[in-house]
Amino acid sequence: MKRKREYDFWLLFTVMVLLAMGVIMVFSASSYYAAYNWNNKFHFLIRQLLWSCVGLVCMFVISNIDYRRLAIISPVLMLISIVLLILVAIPGIGAKYNDARRWFNLGFTTFQPSELMKLSLIMFLSFSLAKNSGKLRFFFRGLVPYLLIVGFVDLLLLLEPHYSCAVLITLVAVVILFCAGARIFHFLAIGVPTIAAAACLVISSEYRLQRFLAFLDPFADPQGSGYQAVNSLYAIASGSIFGRGLGKSLQKYLYIPEPQNDFIFSIVAEELGFVGAFTVIVLFLLLIWRGVRISMNAPDMMGSLMAIGITSLVAIETIINIAVVTATLPVTGMPLPFISYGGTSMLFVLASMGILLNISRNSVNNFNPVRGSELLKRARQGEG
Amino acid sequence: MKSSKRKNIKSMHHKTASKAPVDLKSVRKKKRAEEIPNQPNTGMLKRREFFMLLVFTLSLFFMLYRVGFIQFVKGEEYQKKAYYTQTQKRQINPKRGTIYDRNGKGLAISASVDTVSVNPNALRSELNNDPGELQELAEGLAEILDMDAMDVMKVFNRNSRFEYVKRKIDRELGARVRNYVVQEKGIKNIYIDEDSKRYYPNGSLAAHILGFTGIDDQGLAGIELKLDATLKGMPGKIMNEVDVLGRPISFSKERYVEAVDGYDVFLTIDETIQYFTQKAIEQAALDYNLKRGAAAIVMNPNTGEVLAMASYPDFDPNHPDAKPYFVDNPEWLGFASVEDTELLWQTVFRNRAVNDTYEPGSTFKAITAAAALEEGVVTPETTVVCKPYSLAGHTINCWRAGGHGQEDFTHAVYNSCNPVFVQEALAVGIEKFYTYVRMFGFQKRTGLEISGEPTDEEYRNLWHKEPKEIDLAVTGFGQRFQISPIQLASAYCAIANGGNLMKPMLVKQISDSNGNIIQKFEPQVVRKVISEETSKTIRTILEGVVSEGTGKNAYVSGYRIAGKTGTSETLQTESEGRYVVSFAAFAPADKPEIVVLLVLDHPQVAMHLRSGGILAAPVAGKLCEDILEYLQVERQYSERDMKEMTEEVYVPSLVGLTVSEAIEKLKAYGLKYVVEGSQAEDAVVKDQTPKADFSIPQNSTVIIYTEGSPENNMVPMPDLTNKTVDEATATMKNLGLNIRIRGEGMALRQQYEPGTPLQKGEVVDVEFMLLIAD
Repeated sequence: MKRKREYDFWLLFTVMVLLAMGVIMVFSASSYYAAYNWNNKFHFLIRQLLWSCVGLVCMFVISNIDYRRLAIISPVLMLISIVLLILVAIPGIGAKYNDARRWFNLGFTTFQPSELMKLSLIMFLSFSLAKNSGKLRFFFRGLVPYLLIVGFVDLLLLLEPHYSCAVLITLVAVVILFCAGARIFHFLAIGVPTIAAAACLVISSEYRLQRFLAFLDPFADPQGSGYQAVNSLYAIASGSIFGRGLGKSLQKYLYIPEPQNDFIFSIVAEELGFVGAFTVIVLFLLLIWRGVRISMNAPDMMGSLMAIGITSLVAIETIINIAVVTATLPVTGMPLPFISYGGTSMLFVLASMGILLNISRNSVNNFNPVRGSELLKRARQGEG
Repeated sequence: MKSSKRKNIKSMHHKTASKAPVDLKSVRKKKRAEEIPNQPNTGMLKRREFFMLLVFTLSLFFMLYRVGFIQFVKGEEYQKKAYYTQTQKRQINPKRGTIYDRNGKGLAISASVDTVSVNPNALRSELNNDPGELQELAEGLAEILDMDAMDVMKVFNRNSRFEYVKRKIDRELGARVRNYVVQEKGIKNIYIDEDSKRYYPNGSLAAHILGFTGIDDQGLAGIELKLDATLKGMPGKIMNEVDVLGRPISFSKERYVEAVDGYDVFLTIDETIQYFTQKAIEQAALDYNLKRGAAAIVMNPNTGEVLAMASYPDFDPNHPDAKPYFVDNPEWLGFASVEDTELLWQTVFRNRAVNDTYEPGSTFKAITAAAALEEGVVTPETTVVCKPYSLAGHTINCWRAGGHGQEDFTHAVYNSCNPVFVQEALAVGIEKFYTYVRMFGFQKRTGLEISGEPTDEEYRNLWHKEPKEIDLAVTGFGQRFQISPIQLASAYCAIANGGNLMKPMLVKQISDSNGNIIQKFEPQVVRKVISEETSKTIRTILEGVVSEGTGKNAYVSGYRIAGKTGTSETLQTESEGRYVVSFAAFAPADKPEIVVLLVLDHPQVAMHLRSGGILAAPVAGKLCEDILEYLQVERQYSERDMKEMTEEVYVPSLVGLTVSEAIEKLKAYGLKYVVEGSQAEDAVVKDQTPKADFSIPQNSTVIIYTEGSPENNMVPMPDLTNKTVDEATATMKNLGLNIRIRGEGMALRQQYEPGTPLQKGEVVDVEFMLLIAD
């Protein structure tokens, strides 16, 4: 018997509130920049609104598609993503911007295949692990093949290069593998030497060490390497408790480059103060809590892993973004989900929320350990 | 440790489980799942997912902590820095206070000018970074401002929000720049702001007192430096919140902090007296070719106010680094060169009246006399003997060989007898004498409000450390120690005013730009040094020095000038003439209103003329006369004055009269005559020398022509140098010339060079001088 189930209300609510804040903040942060560069202060507002609407439509459509159906096509999506990642790295096909070849120029917009890859990988890992989670206990038979897949994707991303996305995808994959039951000892066995090797690499070169340490004291070179961090700190500090007031940021007057993008959180903190920053962080906490709750209540392992993957994607992006903005981590290109301006990335975030919503609709009190494909079969037969 | 963590997670999980009824069944089925190798462990899955929730939550709380830390702990520091980068500040310079003389005449004035500045970053962005347009603008601006276009371009290309293009230009030029930049080109990021420029309307007048200012209107010397804080005021500013390129942002209001003008300073200086004083030493410097310049101070003895203070060579504070007249260097760079700057500070910028010290010589005898009289070791009538005095293997001679013999103390002062002053100083005794020295303010700064006076220690080092009798002996007549002119002038004030040492004053009053008095300076008595009685006695004696003694050349009929000459030799500078001649005076002697000190350093004149009595006294006398006349002090002619004054008469017109009529008329005027041509009584006078209405001394001779003309009756001017009055008068008379006698003693200067052809009967001014060795 088919039963219409409810969406997770709090998740939907949080997404809508964050999206609304995003549109407002993008307009506030970008107006001067847009007027300066495009002679139209609504340039980014219009696009953000448009993409939000498209994204919302996309979210609702996807939320009505059973995630198990989507999961079946995940290997195909994965293949497509890999092909696109290879293509984008080829000069002439991928568009180059800021020394990185990450985009396809579609004319009316640009498209980042890495965005698709994030989602594809989450779905593919969940799909595959739901079948093979038992094997994960074994190192070579279980964990290594998955790590090789992730490593291969990372390699493609490094070609562009797109380090921040590689780090993100790796972290999300580790979370999924961890939740699926990989042994902590195995992670340590791989993680510790990797980190040690990376540390050696950094320390071995004076230049790299300096670059790495530069973020610890951005004021050492406020006009050079520390410029973005310093201006971000100025913006946040200027906010104080209640902020300068909406629209009254001074740092958006080109002090922060592209203030509507990765550094939008500092504009939020400047205009809305600690109260605004607190609100945004609480909204993300709410979203993460709902996401984890959905994953814990998912009807099957595949849904659970997919939910935790999507949630941790958003969570890690948020944490890294705010860490960068508060000069806690070195500057890297990581947008703040829902709030930063961004066309296709917005689309994919909302699409993933659609998946999450769909999983929430399928929440069960009784966890069914039966494999996803079987469940799907039963669902088709009307047993769900 | 690990296991306990696991337990914790488990128990937490249970709580969640109880809230949301999830999994009684799943717990039961867990066992089964573990039995099937390829089945997922759902308990672990949930635990690990819950664990991730904790990780993410903690991470975000940490981020929240970071935001709070930045906003509340680092907030102020970062906000300050942010404010600094977000705000563009243009300074508005306050109007620097005016420096007035005691009568309110402006000596240093700030005039309004314009300053052109630019925001280079914003300008380039305003012109869309078009180098062509930038170049064109630079060329246009450079042409108006008379600059090199390359230099303007350099300024335009700086990575900066504020640069000066050209400072302190005429308002007229500023208006042209404004017209070009704003009206013609429509540029917003070049500013023409009001500024002020220091202007000294009287050029070098009081230059050493006023000092001068730098490009930022900061005082660099003199009162400008000493009272810089008072004069400069508080700068105002125009503040704008700007974008990264320095363009004002839309909602930012231009904040304007008004400048507070500096306070006006009224000096004790009198512009006119200062002018007389400067002219006097300048003339002396030219006449005597002073190798090391000159200094002069005029003070009001009753208040300690400095009425004039001059130093030579001087400079024009409008162009302080202009090449001094004595420099030949064709590559003079002024302040741009360290050497040139150093030279300026060592020469023209030196205020010799305060910065320099010298051996006072006999002018110091007034101090010795005061001490001796006050201590009662001598009275004006005490008989003393002036003959060479031997002490500790040294012999001290008077300037007149053999000395003046027996005389009273008054005449010993008139004659400036060194041996007598040695005796009196010794009679006072070392301890008491040096106490008087200190009481008169020597060995200590006077505290005049101007920079550059030596410190107490520097002053002390110019005296004998532990004076012995021989040191005291030479100190008694003013040698082998050094003082500054301002110290001696102050000491003379005390002698003149009844015995009170006054603190010398240069500043009378400070008021704000609306004329409200901020601070008024009152005369300050430092201490009582000598009694009114002693003061009176010395006043009388020093008046005698001028009327009868070594100061005779300072005598001015009608004014009772008292004073003392001084001549000192320095040992180090033989090649430059080694003498410092000076004259210290006050007048009128009975009720002094001015003290004048004149110091002429290293005169290059004939050896026998190098004395204070010959060189300094006449200059000081003339200066006193000018000042007293200006102060409208009435002349009181003594009987001697009346007797000595030769009356002048105006020559009557004789042309057309008969010889007898003309002679009659001349006799009535007290004039003599010589008739050229026909001596007949009825011959008609055709011409005369001197011409009618000339002022000539009585008893002069008028030449009357009945035939011929004065042009054909010429004689050459004789050389009268070193002739006495009688000799000179006779010489002139023999030639048929008239003489106007000025002064007494030996002829020093004559109106015409020897050999100049003169008409018979013409009147020639001849200056006479007493040759006095001290």
